[in-house]
Amino acid sequence: MRIVDRLRPAVINGLRELRANKVRSLLSMSGIILGVASLVAMVTVVQGMVGNFRQFVDAMGGIEKITVTREPLPREQEHLAELSEGLTMRDVTRIRTTVPLIANISPEARVGFEKLANDDRETLTYVTGVAADYLPVAKRWVDPGHGRFISDLDVHNMTDVVVLGAAVVADLFPPNEDPVGRVIKLRGRAYTVVGVLNNIEGSGFQISSARGRGPGGSGSSWRYRNYGAYIPVTTALTKFLGSDRLSGLGLRVGNPQQLQDAVDQTERALLQSHKGLRDFGITTNEQTLEDFRRTESAFKLSLGGVAGISLFVGGIGIMNVMLASINERIREIGVRKAVGARGSDLFLQFLAEAAVVSFVGGVLGLVVSLGIVTLMNLVLAAAVPTSAASMLDPQIMAMGLGFSVVIGLVAGVYPAMRAARLDPIEALRHE
Amino acid sequence: MASLISIRGLRKTYRMGDEDVHALDGVDLDFEKGEFVAILGPSGSGKSTLMHILGFMDRPSAGSILFEGHEVAALDPDRRAWYRSNRVGFVFQAFNLLPRLTVLENVALPLIYREDSDPARNAEAARAALERVGMGHRLDHRPGQLSGGERQRVAVARAIVGRPAIIFADEPTGNLDVRNVDRVLDLLGSLISEGITVVLVTHDLSVAERAHRVIAMRAGRVQEDRRR
Repeated sequence: MRIVDRLRPAVINGLRELRANKVRSLLSMSGIILGVASLVAMVTVVQGMVGNFRQFVDAMGGIEKITVTREPLPREQEHLAELSEGLTMRDVTRIRTTVPLIANISPEARVGFEKLANDDRETLTYVTGVAADYLPVAKRWVDPGHGRFISDLDVHNMTDVVVLGAAVVADLFPPNEDPVGRVIKLRGRAYTVVGVLNNIEGSGFQISSARGRGPGGSGSSWRYRNYGAYIPVTTALTKFLGSDRLSGLGLRVGNPQQLQDAVDQTERALLQSHKGLRDFGITTNEQTLEDFRRTESAFKLSLGGVAGISLFVGGIGIMNVMLASINERIREIGVRKAVGARGSDLFLQFLAEAAVVSFVGGVLGLVVSLGIVTLMNLVLAAAVPTSAASMLDPQIMAMGLGFSVVIGLVAGVYPAMRAARLDPIEALRHE
Repeated sequence: MASLISIRGLRKTYRMGDEDVHALDGVDLDFEKGEFVAILGPSGSGKSTLMHILGFMDRPSAGSILFEGHEVAALDPDRRAWYRSNRVGFVFQAFNLLPRLTVLENVALPLIYREDSDPARNAEAARAALERVGMGHRLDHRPGQLSGGERQRVAVARAIVGRPAIIFADEPTGNLDVRNVDRVLDLLGSLISEGITVVLVTHDLSVAERAHRVIAMRAGRVQEDRRR
């Protein structure tokens, strides 16, 4: 007889027992239900966290970004403060020529919040002086048909051009009006708009106000990045700051695996050109990423522990109920054996029963996990509006279900063996 | 013509504490096809042990059993299960129907453990067996909804559904009222016309008298083997 033919009646029997002992079965399943629910909810929430974080790290320039900032001198060099020149365009050249691991160098000179005006329309936005390499370092771009970004020529010639964020365009220009080529006022001076940065959410000019998404839906938090105006770094230094000191450098490593080498080489190059003065700081996103990985594994460990313990307890619950059920049905086992059932038939029957109980428990667990994840999304959305909603992944659900059946099978082996080994004569005599 | 069952020198010894108990102490018997036999004896006489061994539920300590010409005294458990499913039927004093199954499912139970089990064929055979015992109108009832006599008739249907060579009925009337005793005994007696050997195991002389041959047992031996 094929194994399938033997399994079918066994499974039907299992369902029948389940129906006959609803309360007891539900109680025995509670461990499995909780286990599967916490397992699935855990994986889902952690995955959601990972997704959120990826977005966050990406917004910071990703793992391949190195940030060089202006820092006060350390205590032992304080007396040399007058010699400190800060970060300048000379450093940009220096790094470009001596640190080949760095693929892009983006000097940045923060001007600050400025009023931008187009006739009677005004808006306040943050103005930054940048160069062409800002785009690859910040992972931004200018969509085709929306002009161009600041070019090397702009930096070289100190031109009066500006690239706007999509949100600024919406504030300064009527809808459907192409801003490229228009002239706006910045501190009373005329600046020609040469391009518009990509819209972080969707594309085009209109800020799609979280279409089809609830408050706090994914993406809305990055919309601040659609503000801002960018002018050539030399223009910012000369015409706004009156200094040659940059606020910082953004560097992009060609190969993220060589991040540490690039950091070391950059540090050496800068120390050399700064006459040994440590008036700068170098940071990477690696620390943030490391912190996050630690949080993630802590979450996985604690929630996984809860899931593991509940699944274990769930397995014991099922074994317990199976043993009780077999004790109650010793006579049935005797009858089945008397009419021709082999030990393996009964083993299969009770194993299938355990599997059916745990499978049904697993399905109920998935229902509960759906509730947990929905609840967590609501709480998270209220507490941290930047978080993206976690979604139940069919693969994870299948995994949870698979887990529960495996637990049921493992827990069912011992009771099923007891049933298979019962002596038919003893079993029939049992009251 | 060879007997259906032929046993020689059958012994069964249990170890009870320090003592050996001889439940069967050298039994020689032959059972023919289509016989109606009663095994009579008080409790402890070895009649139940004999039934369990002949019914492939137990193995003898010594001796030989030829069943349909094959030596079966030392079969492994799975082979014995095959015989129980294919060649032997049981009727118990306590009916031993499974309460959660319907009458039809109870009767079909022996068939599902067969190698060529097929749900539709099983149901058809179970229906036919139930018609045979006059219970064809109660297929979808549960055993709990039936009277004692009806339950025992269902149990007889379960015993014959697999077309066995021999049926063992262990005190089949012990839990029945007088009216049903006759009915069940008549039913069992009528099975011999289909070539089935029927073995009644009882301590009740009046029940044993219904059989065509009475084997009286005492202390693990055959005391009397009388044909009428």
